[in-house]
Amino acid sequence: MIDIQFLGLVNATLQAATLLFIAALGELIAEKSGVLNLGVEGMISIGAVSGFITAINTENLFLSIIVGIVSASLFSSIHAFVTVILKQDQTVSGLILTILGLSLSSLIGKKYVGKKLNTKLEGVFDIENPSNILEIILAQNIIFYIAIILMIVTAFVLKRTMFGRRIEAIGEDLKSADSMGLKIGKTQFIATCVGGAFAGLSGVYLTLSYVPYWTDGMTSGRGWIALALVIFGGWKPYRTAFGALLFGFLEALGPRLQTYGFEMSPYIVKITPYVITILVLIVLTILKNGNTGAPKNIGIPFFRENR
Amino acid sequence: MKNPILEAKGISKSFGNIKALDDVDFFLEKGIIHGLLGENGAGKSSLMNILSGIYIPEKGTLTINGQLIKRLNPDLASSYGIGMVHQEFRLIDSFSIKDNLTLSKSNIYQNDFSEAFSKYSDIFALNLNAMTPVSELSVGEKQKVEIMKLIFHNSSIMLLDEPTAVLTPQETVQLKESLETLSQEDEKTIVLITHKLKEIKDFTETIYVMKNGKMVAKDLDTKTVSDTQLIELMMGEVKTSKFDKNNFKGDTKLEAVDISFTNEQNIKTLQNVSLEIKSGEVLGVAGVSGNGQVELANIICGIIKDFEGRVIVKTKDVTGKGVKSRKKLNLSYIPENRLGVGLAPGVSVLDNSAIKEYFQASFGPHLSKNVLLNSLNDLINKFSIKAPDVKAEISTLSGGNMQKLLMGRELISNPDVIIAAQPTRGLDVSAVDSIHNLIIDQRDKGSAILLISEDLDELFKLSDRLIVMYEGKVITEIETELATVENIGLAMAGINE
Amino acid sequence: MNKFLLSKKLYRNELATFYSFLIGFLIAIIVGSIILLIQSKNPFDVFSLMLKLSIGSLNSLSNSLNKAIPLILAGLGIAIINSVKLWNIGAEGQIFFGAIALNFVYINTSIENSYLYIFLLLASGFIGGSVCILLPALSKVLFGVNEIITTLLTNYIVFGLTIYLINGVWKDPNSLNFPAAAYVSESVYLPTVFGKLSSGFLICILFTLIAYYIKDKSVFGYEMRIAGGSALTAIYAGISAKQKAFIAMLIGGGFAGLAGAIELLSQTHRVSTGISQGFGYTAIIVAAITGMRPLGIFLVGSLFGALAIGGSVIQTIGVSSYISDIIQATTLFGALIAQFFFSYEIKRVKDD
Repeated sequence: MIDIQFLGLVNATLQAATLLFIAALGELIAEKSGVLNLGVEGMISIGAVSGFITAINTENLFLSIIVGIVSASLFSSIHAFVTVILKQDQTVSGLILTILGLSLSSLIGKKYVGKKLNTKLEGVFDIENPSNILEIILAQNIIFYIAIILMIVTAFVLKRTMFGRRIEAIGEDLKSADSMGLKIGKTQFIATCVGGAFAGLSGVYLTLSYVPYWTDGMTSGRGWIALALVIFGGWKPYRTAFGALLFGFLEALGPRLQTYGFEMSPYIVKITPYVITILVLIVLTILKNGNTGAPKNIGIPFFRENR
Repeated sequence: MKNPILEAKGISKSFGNIKALDDVDFFLEKGIIHGLLGENGAGKSSLMNILSGIYIPEKGTLTINGQLIKRLNPDLASSYGIGMVHQEFRLIDSFSIKDNLTLSKSNIYQNDFSEAFSKYSDIFALNLNAMTPVSELSVGEKQKVEIMKLIFHNSSIMLLDEPTAVLTPQETVQLKESLETLSQEDEKTIVLITHKLKEIKDFTETIYVMKNGKMVAKDLDTKTVSDTQLIELMMGEVKTSKFDKNNFKGDTKLEAVDISFTNEQNIKTLQNVSLEIKSGEVLGVAGVSGNGQVELANIICGIIKDFEGRVIVKTKDVTGKGVKSRKKLNLSYIPENRLGVGLAPGVSVLDNSAIKEYFQASFGPHLSKNVLLNSLNDLINKFSIKAPDVKAEISTLSGGNMQKLLMGRELISNPDVIIAAQPTRGLDVSAVDSIHNLIIDQRDKGSAILLISEDLDELFKLSDRLIVMYEGKVITEIETELATVENIGLAMAGINE
Repeated sequence: MNKFLLSKKLYRNELATFYSFLIGFLIAIIVGSIILLIQSKNPFDVFSLMLKLSIGSLNSLSNSLNKAIPLILAGLGIAIINSVKLWNIGAEGQIFFGAIALNFVYINTSIENSYLYIFLLLASGFIGGSVCILLPALSKVLFGVNEIITTLLTNYIVFGLTIYLINGVWKDPNSLNFPAAAYVSESVYLPTVFGKLSSGFLICILFTLIAYYIKDKSVFGYEMRIAGGSALTAIYAGISAKQKAFIAMLIGGGFAGLAGAIELLSQTHRVSTGISQGFGYTAIIVAAITGMRPLGIFLVGSLFGALAIGGSVIQTIGVSSYISDIIQATTLFGALIAQFFFSYEIKRVKDD
């Protein structure tokens, strides 16, 4: 007999992990192509608000998912335009993308604050009261399964296909990739927008499933944890998924600590994921001796005639 | 010219206010090895970068196989069959040899990779597994993979930019054989870019000569053209100085005793190296780069502190001490990597001019800009540096002026010891000549000079004694008068007779 | 051959950053107008109201400049840290931590002389900001941990800590609905200069000059520039890049901490969530848009302060205050686009 609290913890872990993982995977793809996009938080927010508004107005969840993905992807194209086409600083552009995304989504979502969604993404399999881990997994909604598929596909494409190797070649060494005739601008632009689309999906998951309402700043730093996850996962999809589960577990565990007999202020519990993220990053960087496995030419704008 | 496979006419290209190419014509004939000769900075690399679509010319036409080319980028160039091996290799270190050979869309051996790989491995005498990461390859092996990459990309025109610069004389002979096989059996059109006379005579059938961004001679027959003719074309009127070696040598100023060093990758890059230089003496260090020269220089200058052995500057033991201890003893270091080590990119000319002695312009925490400006003006006048705007980034200077600024900065204090690594690499003839004069001036003022160079002409011209480094060891030490190019070349390849 | 040719300009116009800012601001106003039009508001009316209510009177002008203080101070801190090519995304947290440190010292000390006390409290704010960036700074220089992520995550930690304190040990029993710490005594309020303008603005001017001096006129600034330009050059020159980075981060964090202290002593008078309303993030825009120049940060910070006041007052006519945030962010994007045209030359090449 597995106790019900434990199952609740597993369920919450999976959900928190799904949210973080999809965004992290998108960022991983962009970074593999050499584009650092610090705008993840803003892109998730745009995806979350646009998906939520569509859901409220149409009650069509499929359409909402699509709108969330597309709008976040379009939003990320600002970063692609400024950094890939106009070759401006990726750090600055990404930071501003976050600030713009947060304020823009607050503006758009103002009228919808506090409204509750009538529909919510249901589990793929109809399981009333899950009683074991398998049933918990089966009871997850469609985006959870999409995340798993995306993980497998991304890992396969990056490692095993010419297309993926070419993306990686660009992020590793711009000049060599250029001499191979690879289309650097186009690839980076697309990879950035794909990263945005993934962040949008993560945002939709946030408002359609994880916490089915909209409020300002509800992304609460998850975009930044996703960025940390990419480093944690060493730019590898499966390891990033493992990291997402770990961080998801911590996020899920916090509010439940009391039920396991730990007395802790709920305010302190809330900050533990951030503290742990920093500590994990530090430990990881020490273990790997500063070499985290980042693509070597990440963050460098490509201009062919640079001497 | 019978039936050119490639015709470039009237090509011009500038970088900022520097005219790299001025109305250049160039023709290539199928299945032949062409030589493109010229001093460093003559425009050879710029021309090659245009043919391979990396630079876009401001003027000129390009015809390939009789077809006028309207647009060119590396991708298109490769589809026209043009491929280039750059001086800095374009290989992705973390990828396998196979990935590097096959990732391009123009790779023609997608399905029969292993057959093709073993065939060309034979031609190039390359004995490696295709899955080996490129980072594990030696410089010579990397170059072979680079040339093989062109074959895999189905390049019929192969542009090789200074391929022999990183090779030992023996490896050079091997390269010659491979290239001959390629031109004869596969009908590859090859361009060999070099500033070395001997190689262009050995390798090629026809020679083009560039000088100061212009093509000064076209389609010379290698068999009939004479060395003096080529030198005149290449150097023009510039007279290079000849230096006498009757210099007075004084007390020992620099001593390195039994130095050994193991780097972070746990490779022993220096083994029991000892040397001694007297006041007024130039000690030349020959060797293919990567044989411990950089490490030796960094140890002497205090950048690397964790090593075995001792360093003594002017009778003072500075072993284990840092860069500042050497500065106090008036030791100057002109590092091999001009922009990136000696000079900080992205920082102004003024700031860069003060790196050695900025603390002399400091009053407590305050840094006097006026003092810095005055010293810079001194430098500019004394070393005739052309710096239009001292507040602009250092990269607005030409390579020659950058090096003069660096040399001037390090030499103006009349140092007792000078370590100069590759001081003339990549500079044009007149800049090289003025740098050589600076070094000899300084020798006559009594400095002890360690000159690290790959340019044998330079070493023979300036040094009183020569040592050759190979795999971290000094394998030959000889008075320059007694040395010959042949025995130094053999020693560079590790053969010590 | 090719129709268009892109080449890097060797020399950039000295005023390129300034022009880029103007162009960016213009683009942002246009974007803002479009958003207002979509919400069926007349942009002209809205903007003129914003202008009137932000600089139209002595009172509103002093409000705007008060708002500019944290933007400028945090922006200067970011600029100092960027001299060694590092990013401080943690100014928001440092502002809060400056206020927390101030309150901690205030609770545990008592000094008769109020000027001396104010000085002590401001100093503790500065030190608080430094303490707040200590972990990111140490982990950066010792192990090379990415400072962007660590400084950013610190914001969430400090914000959580603030909420913990004002709901727990520091909770003012008199503040029933709104969790906040107890007010500080009126004797340590920063005096006003004229109108509502806080003397904190004078401190702000002083620190602008200090930052300018550090960056442009001091030996330390010079060493930071070399270390930021190339780590290898720094090693070659015998400059410890890590030491410069560490000190720069502590100073930069201190500037933001001071902003929090001034905000507490002149505006909120107690620790609450209102100590900063995203000032630390806006400061990033302010610093980046000026190319990290202290005097530019002072000017743009003042403008953005006015914009923030304008943004908050137009809420009364039913326009979202987020419009000013969007204008600020879009200004920087517009400026980046303009920068491109100042750094690259697009030539049209004729076919022969």
